[in-house]
Amino acid sequence: MKRIAAVLSGFVLLAVGIWIWMSDSGYEWSLDPTLPLPSVPPDNPMSEVKVELGRRLFYDTRLSLNNTMSCASCHIQALAFTDGKPRSVGATGELHPRSSMTLVNAAYASRLTWANQLLDKLEDQALTPLFGDNPVEMGMAGREDVIVELLKSDRRYVELMPLAFPSDEDPFSVLNTVRSIAAFVRTIISYDSPYDHFMNGDEDALSDSAKRGMELFFSERLECFHCHGGFNFTDSTTHANSTVDRIGYHNTGLYNTDGAGAYPADNTGLYDMTGQRRDMGRFKAPTLRNISATAPYMHDGSVASLDAAIAHYKRGGRLTEEGAHAGDGRRSPFKSEFIRGFELSEDETADLIAFLESLTDPSVLGDPSLASPFSD
Amino acid sequence: MVLMAAIIAACGEPPANVAIRFAPVFGTRSLACADDDSVPKLTDLRFYVSDIKLITVAGEPVDLQLEPDGLWQQDDLALLDFENGAGACENGTTATNVDLRGRAKAADYRGLQFTIGVPFERNHADPLQAEAPLGDASMHWHWRAGYKFFRAGVRMPDDGFWIHLGSTGCQGTVRNITACHAPNRVFVRLDGFVPGEDVVEIDLGALVTSADLEDHVKTNCSSSPAETSCDGPFRAFGLELASGVADKQQRVFRRQASK
Repeated sequence: MKRIAAVLSGFVLLAVGIWIWMSDSGYEWSLDPTLPLPSVPPDNPMSEVKVELGRRLFYDTRLSLNNTMSCASCHIQALAFTDGKPRSVGATGELHPRSSMTLVNAAYASRLTWANQLLDKLEDQALTPLFGDNPVEMGMAGREDVIVELLKSDRRYVELMPLAFPSDEDPFSVLNTVRSIAAFVRTIISYDSPYDHFMNGDEDALSDSAKRGMELFFSERLECFHCHGGFNFTDSTTHANSTVDRIGYHNTGLYNTDGAGAYPADNTGLYDMTGQRRDMGRFKAPTLRNISATAPYMHDGSVASLDAAIAHYKRGGRLTEEGAHAGDGRRSPFKSEFIRGFELSEDETADLIAFLESLTDPSVLGDPSLASPFSD
Repeated sequence: MVLMAAIIAACGEPPANVAIRFAPVFGTRSLACADDDSVPKLTDLRFYVSDIKLITVAGEPVDLQLEPDGLWQQDDLALLDFENGAGACENGTTATNVDLRGRAKAADYRGLQFTIGVPFERNHADPLQAEAPLGDASMHWHWRAGYKFFRAGVRMPDDGFWIHLGSTGCQGTVRNITACHAPNRVFVRLDGFVPGEDVVEIDLGALVTSADLEDHVKTNCSSSPAETSCDGPFRAFGLELASGVADKQQRVFRRQASK
């Protein structure tokens, strides 16, 4: 009997504990009610103060080896948190093989980056730009003590760190740095585009051209929505109520350098991770939200404009006539079955672009709560 | 007290201190982060050693119990570090660690074996919560969700090369890795090795003298099965590039008899 009582009181304690945790976290997402909540790792609950701390860290150039670069250097708000370059450049000038990805709605990404099936948490992803050395991005490998020193000496961090991590004996750590940055990045959510207004009942939010473009986008003729589907316009989407781990990687026929489907050696996509030939050239379909603000396109920035991107899909793969990457991507054996090419008139192309432009959300590009907290 | 006596009786003599010294070379030349015009010179050399055994004259493998120091060694895993932040190792740190320090039962040893790599469980745990020497961010390969088991760089007369070795083709997600297609752990066995007298030489020349790298040593290798530049180094490590399995004799580590 005593034993049962002990077990019961254990349950009660557990229940009370969970309740306290829930009420304690009490973070309010200010989201459109039609949107699901992002999933948040249980060991890094959201809080206002953590998000504010993360925002400062996100914009702090002292997190790079030569104080020249912050997360925001490659993730600029006005460009939907991309950098406008074909390929990004690290703090020491090293060229990254890939193009900076948008952080908008990264909270809803089931997997992060262009092609890494292992990375499902922003906390883990943040370590690569901070510490990676191939290529060097922010270049902080071996300089963890510099980060901790910064946290312990900057007036605002000294104030915010203990508030953001109240149960930590020593909150000044690299772990809490990436946790804070992740919490901030989870708040970069877009739901206020003309398309969203239209979907919420405002018939006038889209032009007639954009409406025709929407028809085309969701047509079997163009097949866009197979990979760029759902509320986040990508098939690699997850949220707090997800029950299925949805991940999509696709070879879109950009390259075929050996006639057998090879991609350039420094950018083979998922193949680089798995070593499985079938994964050659497979990359994640990025969200199309704010796509008009994130040129140039594709994993290596090799497509300059929306016009050129549509032309690529229209042909059903890219023909590179000469140079080291010469080859016809259309004939790649690894190409997605949805990249088949289609007919599209000039007017229809303009309509499709009008629709894609309607996915751009001026509020996320200008929201002061997502902007740099530093005055300079 | 009785128990203690029984243990001592069972083990025979008390364990002896053992230190095993490692030294980098390039062929027959010694290698360091020199600040002069000498080439080749080291730009980086750090690696994890685990599963360390001494082999008795009778051929019996005996665990070398490392002395945990909260810095370089756990009881069965060590990080060796030869770059001192000087000269060509400008991206390194001043601290170095060039030998394994531990204890093994007193015996006549004539052999040494070890693995270059981090055991699976620890390889895929959270590096930010890991015990030293696994807390070093520069030894972690965040996007591959495990450690760089071995990282080395050499500056040659005209250019140079570097290699990063670690498990690839892992499945699962970060901190929840279930298996890796190519484990890429290197198995080393040095017959005749006399601990305390002999030195383990690490010949980085073996990584580039393979025929396919001779003409363009600038080619780097980051363990990707897609990298043809990894063929040579992997062969030298006794690894098959496609499977990451140690199926041949490695040629990078060798016994240097005491002089």
